[in-house]
Amino acid sequence: MTAIAARPAPAAPPSSGGPVRFLRDTALLTGRSLRAIPRVPERLLDVTIQPIVFILLFLYVFGSAIHVHGISYKDYLFPGILGQSLAFGVIGAGTATASDMTEGVIDRFRSMPVSRLSIISGEVMGQVCEQLLGLVITVAFGLALGWDPHVTLVHGVELVGLVGLGMLAFTWCGVLVGMLVRSPDAVQGMGFIVILPLTFMAGTFVPISGMDAIPRAIAQWDPISALVATVRSLTSGVHTGGSWQLDHPELAMVGWCLLLMAVCVPLALRRFSRAVAA
Amino acid sequence: MTERAIHTQGLTKRFGSFIAVDDLDLDVDEGTVVSLLGPNGAGKTTTVRMLATLIAPDAGEAQVAGYDVVRDAARVRERISLTGQFAALDKHLTARENLILMARLRGRSGRAARAVADELLARFDGIEFRDRLVKQLSGGERRRVDLAAGLIDRPHVLVLDEPTTGLDPRSRQVVWSTIRELVDDGVTLLLTTQYLDEADALSDRVVLIDHGREVAAGTPAALKAQVGQQRVDVVAADAAGFEQLRAVLEGRFDTTPLEQLRTVSVAAPDETADLEQVAGAVRAAGIAVDEIALRRPTLDDAFLALTGHPVQPGSAETADVTDPQEVAA
Repeated sequence: MTAIAARPAPAAPPSSGGPVRFLRDTALLTGRSLRAIPRVPERLLDVTIQPIVFILLFLYVFGSAIHVHGISYKDYLFPGILGQSLAFGVIGAGTATASDMTEGVIDRFRSMPVSRLSIISGEVMGQVCEQLLGLVITVAFGLALGWDPHVTLVHGVELVGLVGLGMLAFTWCGVLVGMLVRSPDAVQGMGFIVILPLTFMAGTFVPISGMDAIPRAIAQWDPISALVATVRSLTSGVHTGGSWQLDHPELAMVGWCLLLMAVCVPLALRRFSRAVAA
Repeated sequence: MTERAIHTQGLTKRFGSFIAVDDLDLDVDEGTVVSLLGPNGAGKTTTVRMLATLIAPDAGEAQVAGYDVVRDAARVRERISLTGQFAALDKHLTARENLILMARLRGRSGRAARAVADELLARFDGIEFRDRLVKQLSGGERRRVDLAAGLIDRPHVLVLDEPTTGLDPRSRQVVWSTIRELVDDGVTLLLTTQYLDEADALSDRVVLIDHGREVAAGTPAALKAQVGQQRVDVVAADAAGFEQLRAVLEGRFDTTPLEQLRTVSVAAPDETADLEQVAGAVRAAGIAVDEIALRRPTLDDAFLALTGHPVQPGSAETADVTDPQEVAA
């Protein structure tokens, strides 16, 4: 008898149920995603180069033409950039998911006794960590350029919690998009047509009060606006206002994030379980 | 009653209007090796993906080790191991990291996972490339790691989807010998392949499928008897040479002259022994020939013999357009 035949199956047959098992598998699969970060550095470049380019363009090219009442443009711009980076998480997660779904390894996981929620959660957590790393680099770059946020300890904790929640929500949204669209190029294209304009119409670079009626109406209810307004009010104390959600940005943002997750998590899971991986 | 490792009845899968698997009844007994033999797009991959719970059937039913692939999918996943046509490994991890990850996901501790990974790498001759990223491995190396990953827990039923497609002959030999060892261990194996010789070499029973339907089934010997034997084809350099060939070979061997092709085809039940004899006779007579080759019956010959029509060239393309897995994977 060879070694293979002699090796017994584990005493307790693995079952895909149970919260301990779920957390363990999710951690293992997150670890798998994290290992890819240093090995595919170009993905990290995506989440750092883009915000840096926007910072440089708006701070030194367009900035001199933009005047916002009651706040310096630096203090106005950096929260916008952070909000935009979070929103771009949809594109990043969507692209990564769309390309990962074509990999045979996902099929291997799906045919193993591993819960399907773990497989996607591992994917989401890996994405969130990658974005977090990008965000840290962006903030460091901002601080180096002289951004001077005024953050109290309480606001700091609140900021980290809300940014984390926002990242999770947008990443889940991106995972769903990646599963529905199924081609990384298509996700990129859609991101350019949908997400990019939405991030511009979110009071990110210019105040929404000066916008034309239609973009202003969009901006007043754009979830990214709530995100940007939240970061801005927590780092500079300035409330932009302009609609109910912008008068209550933190509440609106939590609401949007919970809504996004309530819709995207079950849909992504359902799609994945049925899914014809392609 | 013999235990059935795999049992399907009326199994059907459609992709839009294309019927990939059409009312397929398939049985694999415990401890046996069954080959699903067919051309591209015959429905082999779709069938094994349904068995591995990756896609749900549209009609009919399938059981693996007695468990229904739809109602008891979780139990089926504990008992089946599918190694797909394309490496199911994380290309950004090393060979060893992949195996450790799979072992841990199957419930082993870190230490036990490392032990089993190293044991499998040794068994599959993978020690020298164990710390290389999967994306840097050759096709044959990748396939060996892939097979190893399928064997972390000795699976009840092992499914290998075209295990040697695209491999060079040497890697093909390594894979074959690995499969033979597994079979000696008593693993129940369902194998899909496009190669008649592979089905012949490895399996107890061959099921020939096309357009998602079974077209013939039986032992390799029975199928081969229907398909016909191997032949040695001798191609003369010119028309005069062809006549000389006929004169020399007819009578000594069981020959079929093919004048248009300047070829004399000789029945070769003893394979290479016959090849040597024929070559010896040709050399002794000093006839100029372009080629002397041993020709084994191919899938095309099998189809022609068993169904009366050749493999339909359209079937592969139709499948590729309509079956998303087979395109993307």
